Amino acid sequence: MSQGRLLDLVKSQCRIFSLNFNPQRLRLGNKILRQRLRGPALAAWYPKQEVSFRDLQNTYKPLGLTTFDEAEDDREEAIQIAKLRGKGRPKKKRTAAESRSAKKKK
Amino acid sequence: MSKPAASLFHPKRLNLSGFINTRLIRDHNKRMAFEQTEPERQALRYMIRNTSLPGRTRAQAQLQLSQMHAYTRPTQIKNRCVASGTARSVFRDFRINRYQFRLQALSGELPGVKKASW
Amino acid sequence: MFTNTTRSLLGAGKRLRVPVPIRSLSSPSQPSAPTPTATQETAPQPAASPAPESVSTPTPEQPSEPLVKEWSERLGALGKGTRLPRSVQAIYMRPLRRKAEYGLPVCDLQLRSYSVENVEFFADFAIRAAYYLNLPVSGPVPLPRIVERWTVPRSNFVHKKSQENFERITLRRLIQIKDGNPKAVQAWLAFLRKHAFYGVGMKANVWEHDSLDVGKSMDESLPEIEKALGSHLAQFGQRKDNSVESSIFDTLDSDRFAERTSR
Repeated sequence: MSQGRLLDLVKSQCRIFSLNFNPQRLRLGNKILRQRLRGPALAAWYPKQEVSFRDLQNTYKPLGLTTFDEAEDDREEAIQIAKLRGKGRPKKKRTAAESRSAKKKK
Repeated sequence: MSKPAASLFHPKRLNLSGFINTRLIRDHNKRMAFEQTEPERQALRYMIRNTSLPGRTRAQAQLQLSQMHAYTRPTQIKNRCVASGTARSVFRDFRINRYQFRLQALSGELPGVKKASW
Repeated sequence: MFTNTTRSLLGAGKRLRVPVPIRSLSSPSQPSAPTPTATQETAPQPAASPAPESVSTPTPEQPSEPLVKEWSERLGALGKGTRLPRSVQAIYMRPLRRKAEYGLPVCDLQLRSYSVENVEFFADFAIRAAYYLNLPVSGPVPLPRIVERWTVPRSNFVHKKSQENFERITLRRLIQIKDGNPKAVQAWLAFLRKHAFYGVGMKANVWEHDSLDVGKSMDESLPEIEKALGSHLAQFGQRKDNSVESSIFDTLDSDRFAERTSR
């Protein structure tokens, strides 16, 4: 068989199976298009949190049931104590002038 | 051109369970950023590799790829221990550090893993 | 964390769980016992008829006595003339098999487990299920075990000399279905999935065979597929007001695009 006919055969084969016809063997970067996306597999490494205590609270509240999140209560109590001792969070600086004046005082 | 801060990739609500660590959260954010931008990165990579495209386009694609945020780079991702956050000697099969592996294997939490002697 | 109401609910669950083992203990003896009584009740009434089934053979001699006998008698009679149903008896034998006519492999099922008992039991179960679905089966073929070993230092890196070895051995069994109906094979796989055994993983390769003129049948089914997909494909397309004269390269070259993507 002649070279031309073989080429035609390969060409029609590529057309039928929707492959890239590249007789000059140019670098077309098609191997990147063939690669699978690795993102979903990489993103699934750490265990995800599906249900939180807040979700439980939200489902039970409409039913008239009360729930107690002890960890949350402890946290709020600690914040209250810190505030009373004057060790609470500083007030958020909204403007540039406010933050600058706070720095100057030092 | 100013590069965006890494805080761009912080999720609104942290949806991780189990052991949580600053470095673990950071790695998780990188994974999320990579997952989001992977198609874009692959498109740019394809344009760079494709020799049939004009040189200018390819050079531009190279620039754009290199100017993407570091968090979207897959090489930034490091497998960390799910149970302790350690980055060293983490088994891919169990996603666990070698020490955590020993502890869990001895307490029988890993199915099928036994002490071996031969 | 939980309120009193939830706690009491948990307690109720514990209390409810108690009767379950008792019921499960009694259940195997019950189905075998009442079946002969049912036949006893029906058999003596047409007194002249000969014993219709082998199960009722020992009882028809005394029609005058009370129809329902004492439990102890009935249980005692179980071992003598009566026998278990054939399907139950078959459980004590080696699994029955259909004969393959052509020997054309249709489905490969691989079972994996870390324990021999589980995988052996489930392979046996799968073969029996295949018999009742009229599927010829070959196997279970024990495939090579997969041994994974890990060596871990017992403590910090300083104590490298003292290490510990761990291993995980995966046992595999291969069950091959030969020239079965694809629908029956699917039913078999679904049945196995429904009754999946703990600690046994399954992996199936299914081959479907078609006649030589597949192309013709595919062409015939094309209009139907197109009709089914029509509603979905109608959603795709380009907005008419979205068509721009310039090419994609112009867009890529524009400063605005570069600024946007690099930001």
